[in-house]
Amino acid sequence: MTSVARGNLASMSEIYQHRHRTLFRFFFRLTGRQTTAEDLVHDVFLRMIRYRHTYQLEAGPAGDGFEAWMYRIARNAFADQAKKHRLEAPADDHVFEVLEGGRPSAFEQFSKKQELDLLHRAMRELPEDKRELIVLSRFQGLTYEQIGNILGCETGTAKVRVFRAVKEMGRIYNELVQEKAS
Amino acid sequence: MMCGHAKEWIAASWTGELDAAQELRLQQHLEICPACAAEMAQLSALWEKLGDLPSAEPSAALAVRWEATLESLGAARPNARAKPWRFTLAALWPQRQVWQVAIALACLVAGLVVGSLRNGAGNSEIATLREEVASTKAMVALSLLRQQSATERLRGVDYSVRLPGMEPEVVAALLEAVNHDSNVNVRLAAIDALAKASGSAQVRSSITQSLPQQESPMVQVALIDYMVDAKDHTAVGTLKQFSARADLNPSVRQRADQAMQQLTEYR
Repeated sequence: MTSVARGNLASMSEIYQHRHRTLFRFFFRLTGRQTTAEDLVHDVFLRMIRYRHTYQLEAGPAGDGFEAWMYRIARNAFADQAKKHRLEAPADDHVFEVLEGGRPSAFEQFSKKQELDLLHRAMRELPEDKRELIVLSRFQGLTYEQIGNILGCETGTAKVRVFRAVKEMGRIYNELVQEKAS
Repeated sequence: MMCGHAKEWIAASWTGELDAAQELRLQQHLEICPACAAEMAQLSALWEKLGDLPSAEPSAALAVRWEATLESLGAARPNARAKPWRFTLAALWPQRQVWQVAIALACLVAGLVVGSLRNGAGNSEIATLREEVASTKAMVALSLLRQQSATERLRGVDYSVRLPGMEPEVVAALLEAVNHDSNVNVRLAAIDALAKASGSAQVRSSITQSLPQQESPMVQVALIDYMVDAKDHTAVGTLKQFSARADLNPSVRQRADQAMQQLTEYR
């Protein structure tokens, strides 16, 4: 990125190769929409070029400065997109396709699909900030220190916030399970 | 250990960020605190379940789009951050005020003259750039329309709708989708997308020819609607033959008869 910051845009291609999947998964988990996630990935890389001069200032000496810088841009892009499409309907259930592993019985497949559907719904019903915390910690494989850097809070605070987000999701999930059973 | 502290450590245990000593202290706390133990068990199970949620992969079109963007940016400003001109000009700038004013006036006059001469050339460069961007977008749409996955092809149709104009290749690909796509949703979406090209007699004719080939009642109705919206009264003959088919769905026949009446009125 330092090379890009110096004006060598060709290096951006390499960064794209290494990071676009990570970013895509981040946005896909947040939005549940393939097209929106791809649009956001494209937007983030454009913003990286536009704001490349801020990289040196924001990148920390810990070596994960790029990660934090990239996610900060990604969060801003997501927030801007969410503002623009606040009235857009939530992602349909069919957007999330259940991957098949091995050859389970029809009943196992059915109950697994139901469980995953409920998890998806619980994720969708979670407030955006809490969903983001779960995505960063559970799916993006970031440490609490990295999450703290991205969110601008202490590592301990990041841990507590992730704990609360998972607890909130658990509450929603249990409600959905009970609703389904009744 | 306080319960508040335990929450931090429970969260850290999920991501494997507890060392052996911390793990032990957490276990000791959980043994004496049933509330935290229950919370740990329930939320840890949920944390595990989250791992079963499937992810997705970006489509090939994203890479095509990005490469095209990067190429256009790289060509447009290869040395955006280099600023050697400021120093060169500063060194050349005269110290005497009278010369400074004279140079400024000369630059102003030269700028006005060159600007008025180059106005036409600048517009044509912008037009060329716009054409290139539109062409790149059309390429992405075509690439998506050729994908094996129906979802990708639907995205291709959606992308083609967002194009500022419709290039002949895109129109041909959409007509191909209307006639031969295996997925009904793609065919329906392609019909909608072709609304932008309804001004073309060739497109209207292709749509009319497509009607007898279609087996899906939904697609048949969508095509009939297209003909009515395009006010294509030349389609009346085809509709008449189509409506006479014995195997036709009654609702489709009703719509075809109604369309014939509407198109006859347009004449």
